[in-house]
Amino acid sequence: MADLLKTFAAGSFDLLLRVFLIVVPIMVVLELFEGTKAFRAVVRAWARLVRHVGLDERSAAPTLIGFLFGLAYGGGVIVRDVRRHDLGRRQVFIMSTFLSMVHAIVEDSLIFIALGASLFWVVGYRIVWAAFVTLLLTAVAGLLVRRYRL
Amino acid sequence: MSEPHDTQPGAPLPQPPLTFGAVVRRDLRVGVVAGLQTFWDLAKVMIPAYGATLVLERLGVIAWLADLARPLMEALGLPGDAAVPLVVGYVLNIYAAVGSMQALDLDPRQVTVLAIAILIGHNLVVEGAVLHKAGMNGFAFGALRIVAGLAAAATANLIMGLV
Repeated sequence: MADLLKTFAAGSFDLLLRVFLIVVPIMVVLELFEGTKAFRAVVRAWARLVRHVGLDERSAAPTLIGFLFGLAYGGGVIVRDVRRHDLGRRQVFIMSTFLSMVHAIVEDSLIFIALGASLFWVVGYRIVWAAFVTLLLTAVAGLLVRRYRL
Repeated sequence: MSEPHDTQPGAPLPQPPLTFGAVVRRDLRVGVVAGLQTFWDLAKVMIPAYGATLVLERLGVIAWLADLARPLMEALGLPGDAAVPLVVGYVLNIYAAVGSMQALDLDPRQVTVLAIAILIGHNLVVEGAVLHKAGMNGFAFGALRIVAGLAAAATANLIMGLV
């Protein structure tokens, strides 16, 4: 029991430190650059890609953060943007589905590539799979919402 | 001096343009506040979820689930023992899963197939809590990631067998 608590304390500290060191800089950088031309150009380019899975321009930035850095950090930006301007349940559902399938594309993929996994499969195939699952589930969810007026 | 007629009564007064320094200071302040707020939002859901995963592990739930998942591994072209890193990844995280993968003797194709399943489904308790915070059902998304991850891995294994 004592060692469980010790693991919990050490692990929690580790987790909090990692989240803090990533989330606060992301938010500051977002706030500083969100209005700049370069940032808007990157988000617009990304928005043109994710438009194909049903995401609108306002969802593009949180999706990009999650795709690059991880679900927790993207989720944090989603929570922030839902609070600032209601993104809508449909957009949050699409973002959550897409990011569930693929996130932290650099860090997570590299860990397995280092173990000998193939770059094509863990990156390329996973992105295609994520788009496929997102489109499929959005269609199914749309049908259910219309059928049962959820 | 501006004309008294060019603003409507009650309209906001024209503001002097902000200097670059003032804009940066304002953005820094807003960013730090948003960062701390988000940090706190995430901490509130991640820490209890992390505690729960430690208890699950201690209760032997991982070993029990790995035994259940053993027969599934064959469908993915993996040895039964590959269920252990998979379930470790589901309950804990990618790093723990990679750690337990080191103990197995897998060929590159098997590493790739297992990697796909783990990359799609991992850290389900903590990340489910984050999705819950965003207003989604964390359990449903956990189930989705397990099923879709296994399906993606099985499909990849089939395609790799063909080419």
